[in-house]
Amino acid sequence: MSTNTAITEPLQRAAAELLSEGKVAVVIGYGMDGDSSFSPPLFAREPQEAERLVFDDRCFGNLSVYLSKDHIRRMGKIGIVVKGCDLRAVNVLLREHVVKREDVVLIGVPCAGQGDPLLGKCSVCEQRNPQGCDIVVGDPVEQPQIDAAQRYSEAADIDAKSIEERWEFWSGQLSKCIRCYACRNVCPLCYCKRCITEKTVPQWIETSAHLRGNIAWNVARAFHLTGRCVNCGECERACPMDIPLGAINQKMAQLMDERYDFQSGLSSEDKAPFTTFNVDDPETGIL
Amino acid sequence: MNSAKVDEQTLYQAATGWLKSAVDILLGAGVEVIAPIETDPGVVELAAVNSSEAVALDYVNARLPLKRLLFPVTEVLLEYEKQSDGDVDVKSEPAASPKDVVVIGARPCDVAALEALDKVFHWDYDDVHYSGRREGTTLITFACTKPGPQCFCTSVGGSPHNSAQSDVLVFLEDDGRALLQVCSDKGAKFVDQLGDVAKPAPAGSKLPAPPEVKARFEPEKVKQWLDESFEDDFWADVSLKCLGCGACSYLCPTCHCFDIVDEANWHSGQRRRNWDCCSHPMFTKHASGHNPRPDQASRCRQRVMHKFKYFPERFGQIACVGCGRCTRACCVGQNLVSILTDIETRAKGGANCDA
Repeated sequence: MSTNTAITEPLQRAAAELLSEGKVAVVIGYGMDGDSSFSPPLFAREPQEAERLVFDDRCFGNLSVYLSKDHIRRMGKIGIVVKGCDLRAVNVLLREHVVKREDVVLIGVPCAGQGDPLLGKCSVCEQRNPQGCDIVVGDPVEQPQIDAAQRYSEAADIDAKSIEERWEFWSGQLSKCIRCYACRNVCPLCYCKRCITEKTVPQWIETSAHLRGNIAWNVARAFHLTGRCVNCGECERACPMDIPLGAINQKMAQLMDERYDFQSGLSSEDKAPFTTFNVDDPETGIL
Repeated sequence: MNSAKVDEQTLYQAATGWLKSAVDILLGAGVEVIAPIETDPGVVELAAVNSSEAVALDYVNARLPLKRLLFPVTEVLLEYEKQSDGDVDVKSEPAASPKDVVVIGARPCDVAALEALDKVFHWDYDDVHYSGRREGTTLITFACTKPGPQCFCTSVGGSPHNSAQSDVLVFLEDDGRALLQVCSDKGAKFVDQLGDVAKPAPAGSKLPAPPEVKARFEPEKVKQWLDESFEDDFWADVSLKCLGCGACSYLCPTCHCFDIVDEANWHSGQRRRNWDCCSHPMFTKHASGHNPRPDQASRCRQRVMHKFKYFPERFGQIACVGCGRCTRACCVGQNLVSILTDIETRAKGGANCDA
């Protein structure tokens, strides 16, 4: 672990200033916790609490998940620390009118990657320097060029398997699911007040953790996020059973990229293919 | 549910290769053997084995707790089918057969947790599904040699060498030998099956000293504060970052809440019991639409209150064995020990500290 003082210090100053001037009611950032293997979310509500904010290489979480939570929104205007990858989720929340731009102060942090060794998603990150934030703390970091092959390499590895091998792989992985819904609850874009798996009249998704129910759940989760998911990787990180959910998300992103030339969350102004009518739509999504 | 507690000093010395002998003998007798095996890189689960070769010896704890073998994540309670005459034929799933299962290598905290589950599943109703499996299970526990950084068993009345609910507590030695502490009749039967592989330990044999697990808080102090703090603002603060998933509860060796669902097509169906937990809003939502625990603050409070106040009041023991899985699994770094030490500080009238 190494604290990035070039970011942490100006971050603490900026947060304290926002709080003391009453520009925000809370700053959501990362805090230090000696017992934890990562820097967990921290909610600074008083200027002096800003001293506990940190930025280091263990800031794994995508804090934008809190932007849709009622108990956080009730506090008032929210200041939130975003890495470039997290900002993509914020853009989708803005695009989908879940969050209003004037209700948040975005504090961008340039990020050369998280984890030691680097998390998989960080090694192919194309948003190391967040764009369009209200405040950016720290200097920009170098942005390597990433091509489509690198971007979707995990999906390609699975595509290289035969159908039988793929079935064996996914049925094995999804058999592990215990239906704790950590994947859903940690997802910034799973903000439905009532999830389809909680609906019982009719029961669309079986809640039992047998393979049939687990496939239904995980496929429904993927479908509802196609064209929206920004590959922040939080579902896979949160999964206590280590199911490689990121590979499913990557495949969905690859299809959106290939068929609609679309990557979710690059801008809050984007028109999402699945919610936009276009007479030139190749309609390759329709079987 | 140890049928009889024998002298705790009934010690046996098992020779090198005892584990292979034990597994071979049990499998040969048609007994299912469950043991820790590495299922993913760095991940150990308790699962059926067909030889001793795959058994992991050097691990902190299994990813999923022992409870899942006795109280599975999903199980059939009954099945039903519509007949041609319009009647419905209901077939109660027979109670789990008391098949002999020997679990070799669970950790003392997971095994001790069964005391809490036993009390719940034999409380006002004898749960035949749980009991059937429990009766048929022999627990050959591996004493902890290497507690993890999140372990806190000594704060909740346990220890790395806790023998509670174990039939045999095994102290592995570096040279492949082991000291076997027999704790019940089932344990005596297991050692007996080993034949010459296990011999009474020489007089004066001593158990190794347990590895240190620092006591972090006093549960009595925690309860004192809980008794008077149902409405405290603490719950809103401590639950701020909680996202309300079930990872902590599902991985907890003592959490035992469940949901019952019917899964059916037009003609037939199954009634199933599935793990559920108090972190999920739907857990307490009434058909009227009213939810008596409407926010994460009340749900987080319930989890702590149940383990450290309600369960002790009803059953005389804490519903936590200090395995640390909840803290390890939490994706937002919610730390149960921090919460409890914070509560203890409040109980002593001290200032707020980090949660």
